[in-house]
Amino acid sequence: MGETDPATFEVVKNALYCAAEEMRVVLAKTAYSPLLKVAGDYSCGLFDVRGEMVAQGPDLPIHLGSMPLAVKAVIEAWRTFEPGDVFIHNDPYFGGSHLPDVNVVSPAFHEGTLLGFACVRAHWPDIGSGTPGSYGASTEIYGEGLRLPPVRLYRAGVLNEDVEQIIFTNVRTPEERRGDLRAQMAANHRGALRLAELARKHGPARLLAIMGEVMDYSERMMRAMLAGLPDGEATFEDVCDGDGVLEEGEKDDRTFRIRMHVIKQGERLTVDFAGTDPQVAGPMNAPLTVTASGIYTALKMVADPTDLVPPNSGCWRPVTLRAEPGMVVHAVAPAPVVYANHEISHRVCDMLFGALAQLVPSRVMACSQGTSAILTLGGVDHRTGGRYVSYETVKGGFGARPTKDGVNGLASGISNTMNTPIEMLEMSFPVRIERYAIVPDSGGPGRWRGGCGVERVWKVLGHASQASVCLERTKSPPFGLAGGRAGAPGRIAVVAPDGTERELVSKGPFTAPPGAEVCMQAPGSGGFGPPAEREAARVRADVVDGYVTPEAAARDYGQRDARALACPACARRP
Amino acid sequence: MTWRVGVDIGGTFTDVVLADEASGRVAVLKVSTTPRDFARGVVDGLAAAMRQHGVVPADVGWLAHATTVVTNALLEGKGARTALITTRGCRDVLELRRSARASLYDLFQDAPAVLVPRHLRLEVRERVDAEGRVVERLRMEDVDDAIDFIKRHDVQAVAVCLLFSFLADAHERAIGARLRAALPDLPVFLSSEVLPEIREFERTSTTAVCAYVGPILASYLDRLERAVTGMGLPAPWVMGSSGGVFTVAEGLRMPAMAVESGPAAGVIAAALAGRQLGLADVISFDMGGTTAKAALIEKGEITTTAEYEVGGSGNVRRWLHGTGHPIRVPVIDLAEVSAGGGSVAWIDPGGVLRVGPESAGAEPGPVCYGQGGDRPSVTDADLVLGYLDPVALLGGALPVQHDRARASLEERIARPLGLGVLEAAAAIVDVVNAGMAGALRIVSVERGHDPREFTLVAFGGAGPVHAARLAEELDIRTVVIPPIPGGFSALGLVASDVRRDYARTFYASLATADPAEIAAVYAAMEEEARVMLRRAAIPEGRWEVTRAADCRYPRQAYELTVPVAAGPVTPETLAGLAAEFHERHRQTYGHASPDEPVQLVNVRVAAAGRLQALDLARAAAADAPAVPATRQVYFKETGLAPCEVVPRAALAPGVSRPGPVVIEAADATIVVPPGWRCRVEAGGFILMERRHG
Repeated sequence: MGETDPATFEVVKNALYCAAEEMRVVLAKTAYSPLLKVAGDYSCGLFDVRGEMVAQGPDLPIHLGSMPLAVKAVIEAWRTFEPGDVFIHNDPYFGGSHLPDVNVVSPAFHEGTLLGFACVRAHWPDIGSGTPGSYGASTEIYGEGLRLPPVRLYRAGVLNEDVEQIIFTNVRTPEERRGDLRAQMAANHRGALRLAELARKHGPARLLAIMGEVMDYSERMMRAMLAGLPDGEATFEDVCDGDGVLEEGEKDDRTFRIRMHVIKQGERLTVDFAGTDPQVAGPMNAPLTVTASGIYTALKMVADPTDLVPPNSGCWRPVTLRAEPGMVVHAVAPAPVVYANHEISHRVCDMLFGALAQLVPSRVMACSQGTSAILTLGGVDHRTGGRYVSYETVKGGFGARPTKDGVNGLASGISNTMNTPIEMLEMSFPVRIERYAIVPDSGGPGRWRGGCGVERVWKVLGHASQASVCLERTKSPPFGLAGGRAGAPGRIAVVAPDGTERELVSKGPFTAPPGAEVCMQAPGSGGFGPPAEREAARVRADVVDGYVTPEAAARDYGQRDARALACPACARRP
Repeated sequence: MTWRVGVDIGGTFTDVVLADEASGRVAVLKVSTTPRDFARGVVDGLAAAMRQHGVVPADVGWLAHATTVVTNALLEGKGARTALITTRGCRDVLELRRSARASLYDLFQDAPAVLVPRHLRLEVRERVDAEGRVVERLRMEDVDDAIDFIKRHDVQAVAVCLLFSFLADAHERAIGARLRAALPDLPVFLSSEVLPEIREFERTSTTAVCAYVGPILASYLDRLERAVTGMGLPAPWVMGSSGGVFTVAEGLRMPAMAVESGPAAGVIAAALAGRQLGLADVISFDMGGTTAKAALIEKGEITTTAEYEVGGSGNVRRWLHGTGHPIRVPVIDLAEVSAGGGSVAWIDPGGVLRVGPESAGAEPGPVCYGQGGDRPSVTDADLVLGYLDPVALLGGALPVQHDRARASLEERIARPLGLGVLEAAAAIVDVVNAGMAGALRIVSVERGHDPREFTLVAFGGAGPVHAARLAEELDIRTVVIPPIPGGFSALGLVASDVRRDYARTFYASLATADPAEIAAVYAAMEEEARVMLRRAAIPEGRWEVTRAADCRYPRQAYELTVPVAAGPVTPETLAGLAAEFHERHRQTYGHASPDEPVQLVNVRVAAAGRLQALDLARAAAADAPAVPATRQVYFKETGLAPCEVVPRAALAPGVSRPGPVVIEAADATIVVPPGWRCRVEAGGFILMERRHG
């Protein structure tokens, strides 16, 4: 079959991406847990018959690298498929990312011809384990929750009730999970339907050809984008806060190091992790595909900021990752992984910006929040007597850019989940949000100021909550670039009803008594360029609006006359 | 005789359309928009149009109006200085938005500036919980502090949005009362009045948009209403973003409903044209002085979205947040780009030719208007290329200065780029067409529709000049130019039905809800609808009042709208509603959970008053006959060459001509390039078809 004509190619390519976007809408509209229906912690994609990703919806870049493996794992395990089949799995060592990310995969057919697969990876707020939300600091993956290899949940439309019972016996709040699973299947159903429609319209052979052409197109485009960047090599090193596990003799969670060496040559990019620390006891170990997602995200932002290259498996053919198995960026079983999924992915994404700053300083951003800043809460809702699990992420600063300030409280890099509206959260779970606000002075000083971090305060109502936290960059604040300074680090504390405050380590479970307040500050982002070069008018405007205090204006920018500008409305109320 | 009158204010021109209900006769008049006092332009235009067509005010039974004041204020950041009052701890909700970025990979992106700067966001101590109970009383001393602050800071409008006010509005009402008592002239918008719906950011944003544009809309509508009623005309209806009309009073309560009012009218007119020509799949394309808008009509249906963000950089991805300010009112799904006749051409620091987004607008206007504009615009390029009459536009009403346009193009574009003047002008047209093709792609290709299967209905003052070349970009083979392209949007105002949607939030489980309570809510809304229809003087025989309900499974966040039968509401009605919901859920998403309870969220009433159908066929005779002529016109295929220029009135139905030819009418010029053929259809429509090759 010859090349597809350009107009048909464009229309079908966009129809594939529209179908992936439609899957996203179906999932949001039918899901039950706030994490999915309003916060959007999931990705949808369409895959070819070999499991290569042809189209990802406007979802989470964190899933760019590992989604194809999730489908390939199903293909390898099952080989033959029938209409109405549905597969489910979540094993990070089998194409997953971490156990809470549950993949549901459905084949698509046109008159008996397999067209490819629809896959939704959705973050279930709970997948079992000893901690509600499955975010405890285990030392083996066996402790992290229910681990599902690729299993067939439906065969030709008929439910395997045994599998379903195993799943819903092992997770908290199974009624909610049941709704989420149905939503994932509904989204896949829509994706498969759209593929079948395209096959009917253009013929299955033409559709399959176009699916291949779309990936080739992305590869060509990405190679051209890479060729447009200057050649060179750069090294960047950064230190992570710790793994959430206090080992024998440790008083504080021990830090560890990631090192990357980047080689950009012609239309290829190689990232070598030689010199990176070995995997750690706690769940800060990333499967290589998770690491890859972070690299891909930063690369796409640098090479293709206007999103001309459709994100799919073709994009990454010009990229090589080198990391020894057993490194913290290339975990081997049975290392625990749950935090690393986003924390290591965030980390290497920011680090690649840091490295590429040495080659293309005008196309990078200073370090963003560098963490998904997660709080899970669980227990019994005194209002209903039923169990609940809540999972939220708080967005910190989006890094300062070469010609612009950073952005306050905005998802960065590999993440793009939404916040959970306070009203939806409180209707669903026994908590009250006492504060959701920008943190003054948390944006790294610079000619272009870093984005401010954000504070969220949860008051636990009527029960003791079994909580856990995952918050990187409490010890390693987000770095600035080109003379810009670091943003404020993250911080997590519990204030007991009597007012005593206890600061927590960055990761792990804890208990919040009734009436306690859990206060989390997501980090600000790094600044860009020397603070001394910041225009005085911008410093003054920041003081008027309370993004910068008069004290910090004097200290960081040498603006000593800003006190009178500070607006009374920005003074914190009691 | 009963006349319907429509007035559509665009960035550059104000169009007045008159339609005689009995004969179907339609007439249009264009006058310059008067941005410093929009109402003056409207009154002048109305007076002129009525004089010209011998219409007396007593014969006018219907006056509808579309306005851009709301959209413009948001796009240009020129709304009122607005303060926001929120629950303690929550003043940054408006800035933090939903925390997701609009573009996944663009590291230089920024959301639009927050409508309320941080120093004008004030907090008061108070709290209502998720069950609607007050858990912290409202501290009036905080409200008084806020009032003091507002007095000292030159604030022009206030938005109030407290947590859970959609469940319990007492605190918002108390704040509103105190504010109104202390500052009687200050517009105050309470979120519980504007949008009593869950989700604090979207509710705050909608309320802030209302406050931000409220004062401008109020002063505008007030002047307009006084002016037209002063002329003896009926009070104006205002076209809303969803394609329905509302009264001035309703508009002032909910100014966000006036977003995209003009474009909505245009899309309705395009759908109407499609229906009349038997074309079900149509792309509506409206190019005026400052913006170009595209909308898709599939199988005769206009798509609306409830996820609209206004003032953003184009409504590309409906599902991604962050491009504009969200408003939770239904809006016709439009793609809009800053490209129009007035778009200014310039050379960027990298030496690349750019067109827009800045527009010369109505004042000073393009260089050729000779009103002080000194930067060349798309209209100047069209003029120099010979597409527009070199002496005067609008049938002679608007003299133009060809030499000035040429000199400015030469000096500011051609010379810096090292091009000839014609090449420079052609380049400007290419750039602006590429930008507008983007808008057409957004509504078609980007949403998986093949534009080749659609007909382009092109209108607006500049649309018919650019339509054919634009169609080539998307491989569209057929273009329809309606009878009065320049005033076509306004035609939507007199030819569309009266529509109004009413909704009330009503949280209840269908299994346990009290049917009498639901019946009472429907009855109240239906009464409101009947009052509206009666005011519109629509005979009862043409009323359509229908009920619906938004339902979902209790743990879901989004609803499906299910029709509800008229008549008494009984337990059986509610059981039937639940069954219908399960069925629709199954149809829409492929599964249902009949064992789960069904949650009622909103009850809705849609009221329509069918207007008598208008026959566009009689509209064509509006142009005065004139003699055919020839002038030098530039096309890339021919270079500058003599081209036939035909007055539209000289083309009888059935006449067919090959391009190149320029067809001139009072309100618009139609350019038929080489490779195209035009045919005059019954009803005054001109059909352009691309020949093969």
